[in-house]
Amino acid sequence: MSVSVIEAKDLSKTYEAGRTEVQAVRDVSMTINKGEFTAIVGPSGSGKTTLLNLFGGLDTATSGSLSVVNLDISTLSKRQRADMRLYYLGFVFQAYNLVPVLTARENVEFVLELQGVGDERSDRAGEVLEELGLTEFADRRPNELSGGQQQRVAVARAIASRPRLVLADEPTANLDGENAEILLTMMRRLNTEHDITFVFSTHDPRVVAYAQRVITLVDGCVDKDEIKNAGSC
Amino acid sequence: MKINLSAKYAIRSLSRHLRRTILSVLGIGVGCGLCLFTIAFIRGEKKMMIRAAAESGAGHLTVAPKEWVNTRDNDLRLENWEAKRREIAAIDGIRIVTPRVQTDALLAFGTRMRGILMTGVDPPTEPVANRLVQKLVEGRYLESGEIGTVVVGRTVVKRLNVALDDDLMVTVAGQDGQMSSAMLRIIGIIETGSRELDGTICHVTVEQVEKLTGQQGATQLTILLENPKSLETMEEQLRNRMGNSAAVLDWEELLPEMAAGVEGDETWSRMIVLIIMTVVFLGIASAQLAAVLERRREFAVLSALGMKSGRLVLIMLMEGVVLGFAGALLGLSLGAPTAYYVATKGIDFSGLYGNAEMSMSNILFDPIFYGDFGWWLVPLSFVLALAATSLSSLYPAWYAARTDPARALQVEQ
Ligand SMILES: Nc1ncnc2c1ncn2[C@@H]1O[C@H](COP(=O)(O)OP(=O)(O)OP(=O)(O)O)[C@@H](O)[C@H]1O
Ligand SMILES: [Mg+2]
Repeated sequence: MSVSVIEAKDLSKTYEAGRTEVQAVRDVSMTINKGEFTAIVGPSGSGKTTLLNLFGGLDTATSGSLSVVNLDISTLSKRQRADMRLYYLGFVFQAYNLVPVLTARENVEFVLELQGVGDERSDRAGEVLEELGLTEFADRRPNELSGGQQQRVAVARAIASRPRLVLADEPTANLDGENAEILLTMMRRLNTEHDITFVFSTHDPRVVAYAQRVITLVDGCVDKDEIKNAGSC
Repeated sequence: MKINLSAKYAIRSLSRHLRRTILSVLGIGVGCGLCLFTIAFIRGEKKMMIRAAAESGAGHLTVAPKEWVNTRDNDLRLENWEAKRREIAAIDGIRIVTPRVQTDALLAFGTRMRGILMTGVDPPTEPVANRLVQKLVEGRYLESGEIGTVVVGRTVVKRLNVALDDDLMVTVAGQDGQMSSAMLRIIGIIETGSRELDGTICHVTVEQVEKLTGQQGATQLTILLENPKSLETMEEQLRNRMGNSAAVLDWEELLPEMAAGVEGDETWSRMIVLIIMTVVFLGIASAQLAAVLERRREFAVLSALGMKSGRLVLIMLMEGVVLGFAGALLGLSLGAPTAYYVATKGIDFSGLYGNAEMSMSNILFDPIFYGDFGWWLVPLSFVLALAATSLSSLYPAWYAARTDPARALQVEQ
């Protein structure tokens, strides 16, 4: 039996842009189970970022219900949503994910410090970087890393706190094919080895190929929801 | 020991924008230094004014009849003044006690005359207690128990068109309203450099006043302390000793105008400090706000990772504290040497007053003003700088904390 990590029911988000209203997400219902590796695709403006922000509690829905890691988001305060992200979720964005003045290791450590991890956080950060083959970059600052390396450090940071769910908004958009492939392979490995659920948005058909499940959004609505054979690429 | 990552983060963020940080530190340092200098100068000025007042005849403390405090009636006399004087002189920490008695007098020479407040003094102790007497330029000062002699200021001499050894006709109103006159020889002339002050000086012996007014004794005992800092405890002690027989006044009560002047200067210095620190505060606040705006995305990412606003405010405050610390050190390195210079070399204001000595309410001031200097500059500098920077970090911190992360992530992506 699979355990759900995200459960959305009739989820909608409406933005007010001047006089007009933009329905970025409309009546989205979906369940994402533990261990899934899901891609959210769709044309620009179809609501991918909005949906991921709702999942992460960075934005609040206009209507509908949403439960993430078994927490009913609508009942959580801003502070509780921050705690939910800190302890259960990881985030990766398109670019500029890392704190520029901290080294790769310190970026990872920072999240552990926020969690209240004590003296062992430096070692733990080192272990995570090592596991992902990033040891040689540990003491470099983001501006001394390539875009691909930065994104890999960002993934390391996202999983350092052993989250249940990692949300990634177009993590490969700024990467070339080779780096996109390295990143996706890494994410997939973490998905299978640590049973971390991944939900990522993308435009790139080559990235989509890595996904186990592909949800297509059009105009804020779920247009297609296909489950492929696990691990096929 | 590992330093807290948030602190590392704050410090590195400051060093990342080194130019802006240096400018901020310069601003805080210069502002702080100016404040230190102003405060040191005004503190020194206050000390000097008190000293000038005390040594221009007002003393640190004055013992006078109770009734005199409100009436300032010169016909009043202290009970047993000689016994009181002996008692006070025996107290530890008293530099000098000298008696005074004053009466309104009319000085006349030929067809010229001039009204003046004549002071009866004790010749051996008066010069110690009164720096004006030390400005004797012609003749000699009074001698104990002397009758028939007077020492006057230069302006009196000029107005009456007299010279040393001339005899002045002095008339006073006696106890019962009867006129009483005497011929007094000018044996000494005092020139303080202040024309106004020199017009008020007319010293005779206590005995001379007794003889003219027909009233025995002195009205006041003027006291100088070894250490002006002991003023309050001494005042307390004297009040206890004098009990009901006499009042004890400090210089502020004796010279309310001067006290108001000193307080006015202190108010000014506080205003100046407030204005400077407000400017510093606004400058730092805008620099920190710019720093926050620049890092909106960075903060949004961190808040997406679960950082709470408290931590963000803490990081901003740390940046403020680091700036404040550096600013305080710079402020000290600018302010302390200037304060030291002014405390040791002084600032010469004589040019401003046409080389004349300065006077106010019958007090002779040195034309060179000395500031104060001491270890208190160090904590003051840190308090000023840290208060300004931590307060000015609060608004930017609050602004950053309430920024919507979803918005901030969107804007620059
Ligand atoms: N803060 C906002 N105010 C008004 N409209 C918004 C806001 N954020 C998003 N939108 C609108 O909501 C819709 C969905 O936007 P969203 O960013 O979720 O799309 P997306 O699928 O992520 O697009 P892209 O592939 O370009 O990143 C768009 O029409 C967008 O203009
Ligand atoms: Mg998007």
